[in-house]
Amino acid sequence: MARYWESLGEKIYQEKIILSISSVLGFLFLWYLITDLFGFMPAVVLPSPEKVFFTIYEKISVPVGEEKLFGHIGVSLVRILVGVGIALGLAIPLGILMGWYEDLDSLASPIIEVLRPIPPIAWIPLAILWFGIGLGSKVFIIAIGVFFPTLINTHIGVKFVDPLLIKAAQTLGAKDKNILWEVVVPASIPLIVAGVRIGVGLGMMCLVAAELVAASTGLGYLIMLGGDDLKPELSITGMILIGILGLIADRIILGVERRVIYWKKE
Amino acid sequence: MNEEQRSDKLSAQNVSVMFEKDDKSFLAVDDVSLTIQEGEFVVIVGPSGCGKTTFMNTFAGLVRPGKGKVFMDGEEITGPSAERGVVFQQFALFPWKTVKENIEFGLKYRGIPKEQRDETIRKYVQLIKLEGFEKSYPHELSGGMKQRVAIARVYANRPQVLLMDEPFGALDAQTRTIMQEDLSEMFLTEKRTVLFITHSVDEAIYLGDRVVIMTARPGKIKKIIDITRDNLIPDRRRMRYDEVVSLKEFLDLKGEIWGLIKAEILEKHIL
Repeated sequence: MARYWESLGEKIYQEKIILSISSVLGFLFLWYLITDLFGFMPAVVLPSPEKVFFTIYEKISVPVGEEKLFGHIGVSLVRILVGVGIALGLAIPLGILMGWYEDLDSLASPIIEVLRPIPPIAWIPLAILWFGIGLGSKVFIIAIGVFFPTLINTHIGVKFVDPLLIKAAQTLGAKDKNILWEVVVPASIPLIVAGVRIGVGLGMMCLVAAELVAASTGLGYLIMLGGDDLKPELSITGMILIGILGLIADRIILGVERRVIYWKKE
Repeated sequence: MNEEQRSDKLSAQNVSVMFEKDDKSFLAVDDVSLTIQEGEFVVIVGPSGCGKTTFMNTFAGLVRPGKGKVFMDGEEITGPSAERGVVFQQFALFPWKTVKENIEFGLKYRGIPKEQRDETIRKYVQLIKLEGFEKSYPHELSGGMKQRVAIARVYANRPQVLLMDEPFGALDAQTRTIMQEDLSEMFLTEKRTVLFITHSVDEAIYLGDRVVIMTARPGKIKKIIDITRDNLIPDRRRMRYDEVVSLKEFLDLKGEIWGLIKAEILEKHIL
């Protein structure tokens, strides 16, 4: 019986993979149909899939502007990593302190509530004015995008820790400082990680937005250049790579999440 | 019966607690005075929502009385302390800590060195019969196992007073009986002062030296029954639970206490 279920599980899993692969192939085929085969879309509007793949292959060795393809990927990667790093370094400690110390909460909340609804993209002009068109302005925009969701989730996570756990710690002899680090912070980790996940997703959007506006490198720049030079295959290349980058980032965070909340019920 | 000289361990003097809920305030505990002696096991029974837990929490230092005062060894209680360990109804284990780490929690703050902590943990893991589960997380344990860990966590911390809020309420009948026998045995080997809340009259008589019956809200003391009077069931803590609950003396006491609770329920129409 067990073996039957096992093989059934295996079968379902295989069927899932086959379905996933067929959906990707189907999508590519449809793309091929409307471009190459029937020519509904002229190549200058929508290039065929093989043209895009050729472009990706070509740009690995032929530079676009200042960098080759991996150079552009690397530049974008550095921007997102620095931006995320700075945002998490500020948002998580601030969120913990705001959740724990009510005075700080009252002090900081009004400012945060006003700044939070401003779309990160609205900061681009000021960012360029303050940090120029180099790494600084992109990092700033990305950090703004990552900062708020992470801060809000950390704040809520700390503030709404099960009071019973705090009472238990108090009656076992833990002092306030111990309780913050040994009870409140671990208990809020699931919400903090969820906030980071939302933040990083928003950070990817900010990366592209910042690179579209003022950059001569990066995946956003490729997307923009494709439009300017009427080379849509270049834009699609940038889009595919951003998609893959986002997917990898999300999977990494998911992996971290599974590791840090091993203690949560399935 | 040898009457050894005992001192007052806990005492509540004219304690009242008000609660605010949905813009209405109500009296949860109304002018309760109670003294518990060192080494005594006192059980509180009463209808649901009668303020038993609130009253116990004033001893824990988790609720400040609106009127009146609570004392331990003659000193006023102003906040929580490791000297008054609490076993909560909902276990309150730290879900990210293993069984071992949960039991170890309080010991660290007492400044007990590592080797001694490990020895204490071993002893209590053995006492609650959870050998082999030291590295398990709470979500991997059954309700009964979790409750045993919660009890061991407080016991290991060696508080002078144990406050237990319906610790067996969430357990099935069999586990509950085992836990009651375990606690009875532990109380004999690790003599402490205990204040214990329960819904079960059987449990109250089996475990308690005195049973305090509280009224429906606002909670007052209706009557205190001394289980040890006339040495009715002298060796009950060394006997099995199902033996004790079928004794005639036990059934008489049960009838007496049930009568009081029933009268309270009927009088206040809280069914």
